[in-house]
Amino acid sequence: MAITSVISADGSELTIAVEGRFDFSSHQDFRRAYEGQPSQVARYVVDLQETTYLDSSALGMLLLLKDYAGGDEADISVVNCSDDVRKILAISNFEQLFTIK
Amino acid sequence: MVLEHLDMESLETLREVMGAEFTHLVETFITDSDMRVTSIAETVNAADADAIRRAAHSLKGSASNMGALSLADLCRRLESMGAESKLEETHDLLEQVRKEYSLVREALQAL
Amino acid sequence: MLTPAVIKILVVDDNPTDRLVLETILRKQGHQVVSADNGLTALQLFQQEQPDLILLDALMPGMDGFEVAERIKKQVGEDFIPIIFLTSLQDADSLARCLDAGGDDFISKPYNSLILRAKINAFTRMRAMNHTLLTNRDQISEHNRMLIREQEVAKRVFDKVAHVGCLDADNIKHSLSAVSVFNGDVVLAGVNALGNLMVFLGDFTGHGLDAALGAMPLAQTFYSMIEKGFNHQDILVEINKKLNEVLPVGVFCCGLLAEINFHEGTIKVWNGGLPDCVIYKPASGELSLLKSRHLPLGVLPASQFNSRAEMYDVHVGDRLYLWSDGIHEAENHRGEQFGEQRLFDVFQNNSRPESLFNEVNAAVNQFIGASEHTDDISVMEITLVSPENFKASHVLTQDSSFAGPDKWSMSYELNPDTLRSFNPLPLMLNVIVQVPMLRTFSGQIYTVLTELFNNALDHGVLKLESATKNSSEGFSHYYQSREVLLQNLQAGSIRFDLDYQGGRKGGALIIDVVDSGDGFDYQNLGLAGGDVYSGRGVHLVAKLCSTLEYRGRGNAVRAVYSWGESAF
Repeated sequence: MAITSVISADGSELTIAVEGRFDFSSHQDFRRAYEGQPSQVARYVVDLQETTYLDSSALGMLLLLKDYAGGDEADISVVNCSDDVRKILAISNFEQLFTIK
Repeated sequence: MVLEHLDMESLETLREVMGAEFTHLVETFITDSDMRVTSIAETVNAADADAIRRAAHSLKGSASNMGALSLADLCRRLESMGAESKLEETHDLLEQVRKEYSLVREALQAL
Repeated sequence: MLTPAVIKILVVDDNPTDRLVLETILRKQGHQVVSADNGLTALQLFQQEQPDLILLDALMPGMDGFEVAERIKKQVGEDFIPIIFLTSLQDADSLARCLDAGGDDFISKPYNSLILRAKINAFTRMRAMNHTLLTNRDQISEHNRMLIREQEVAKRVFDKVAHVGCLDADNIKHSLSAVSVFNGDVVLAGVNALGNLMVFLGDFTGHGLDAALGAMPLAQTFYSMIEKGFNHQDILVEINKKLNEVLPVGVFCCGLLAEINFHEGTIKVWNGGLPDCVIYKPASGELSLLKSRHLPLGVLPASQFNSRAEMYDVHVGDRLYLWSDGIHEAENHRGEQFGEQRLFDVFQNNSRPESLFNEVNAAVNQFIGASEHTDDISVMEITLVSPENFKASHVLTQDSSFAGPDKWSMSYELNPDTLRSFNPLPLMLNVIVQVPMLRTFSGQIYTVLTELFNNALDHGVLKLESATKNSSEGFSHYYQSREVLLQNLQAGSIRFDLDYQGGRKGGALIIDVVDSGDGFDYQNLGLAGGDVYSGRGVHLVAKLCSTLEYRGRGNAVRAVYSWGESAF
């Protein structure tokens, strides 16, 4: 499991990529990926291209990110979901809270 | 190899380290070593190999700390004889230890 | 260069010259020195003085250095007290003996003060490192022990609350994974005033205390609202609202609430976050999927919550199956998951509907073989029967099973992460009010907990001075600094130990709060009061409680809240 974060050239977009299992063990790393970033970050992209598995605690972490990024105002996309990951997000109806691509 | 009775360089370092305690150290060494030389003599006369080893070992340590390198070396040789139970030359070596110690003693008292 | 640590050193040598040289060198380097001229005295001094390091002559009359080293190493156990042999031993055998006896290093005569300094510093660092390792290890095992205990308490309390409905009705079968700690899964069933069966299967994120904290208000809301006649929609709205308030962000409950009307032959279903559950019609072999249409409970604020449910027509003999994702995620030894297809195959291959429930369980258990459950495997089956054949105990009163335990305790340690991110008091109160007698006094108990917590946080952990609150400017400055300090909090902790003992006629809640702070001079307490802004909290607590006692250096306090014919 590895989590990397990349900030766009203009500093407005933060992309967090999760590799491998996205579960409770990623909690600290995931938080670290967005906390302490420059304040001008306005958009968050969670890239699940390399994510093999996602459980309910990962959903909880996405909610924490949403809360951190401004709650209902937050602009968060979850992108490159595999079918399995997309299914879990759909069961939990997270498309109501996040832009899922 | 001929060793000095007293290695003045290490003695000087010791004097620096000890400061005001230096005189006391010299007195302690002399009082203690008088007894140890006597007890080495007893063990040699009794031809007790292990006792020779122990007695010589102890004097070797303090002699080396005082910079009495030749004395320390004689003790080392005596200690080895004790350890190996080769007692033929111990009387001879005891005499050398006595002679060397009295020189060291004089030199220290003259400081 | 860093100032080397000053330590206490035991010097053991029968030779007074060598001893004197060594003592002087060590004192000059700033260390505290105790010395012995023989082995027995060395052992006595070791006991008395508890030195950090030992410089030990090997050959001494009487008890020699080897024996001294062996005895000391046996005594100290896991602690690391370095022993350095003072020796000019030259043969390998003697050196090996030193090591065998527990020696850590050697220094030969004549002594060199630079080498001595270097060795002592190295061993002092090693000793500190060893100490840190031992402390960390002990802390980790202590934390782990506490965590398990908390979870056990949570499960016991929860079991009392959850197992009161009509899960024992003839047409309901259920299984919950049998782990010793509370696992996050919840199964509830009750009959409402219309005679309809309400069933709920939930799966909380997380395990243990977090999940139990949500599960208890959930179960309580479920049963009390059914009893009071609230409908499907009301119950969902209320459960969602409660969980949204109580749970920290990121903790929520995937759940399905179904209302089964035996008279009309309908099932009303709301699914938020559980995988597809099913209604199975054995007559036709038809499987209707009950899809998740909503966000899990506790995620959305009340204003955005959607309680819209779906209706299904059913007949006698039809079966409703509910499960959490644990069943899909059950893994075999190759790491493959049981998955949806294998589950539906069990339905496909079934010939006797009565044995379906057992077949589902058997299929999962067979699949996972020897491997452990990776999540909570919970399954529930409800069979449609004719109204006259539906027999369930309607007892849902706040009776014996709701009376809660006579004795009950919990510990809760708050670290900087927790203190920074949320207020733990509502969570604790939620556990406390599961004891009905305590619920009666929840307002006062909340006040007591709040005051004790705030004192521990403000003055103990954040080290704020209460006196600055005495002016109105100071008052606002106080709260500003509090905010800043809290945001940057890196160290410190507050620990609550709650112990409840009681019966129907009276009882007591003993609240112990210990913080990591420096404490304060509590002997002079009792002067503040009246109009001053500070110090009022303590007086309030003292008034509400039968006992209020500061302890230790003032960083520990015990408050006893008692009522009725309490022994306290």
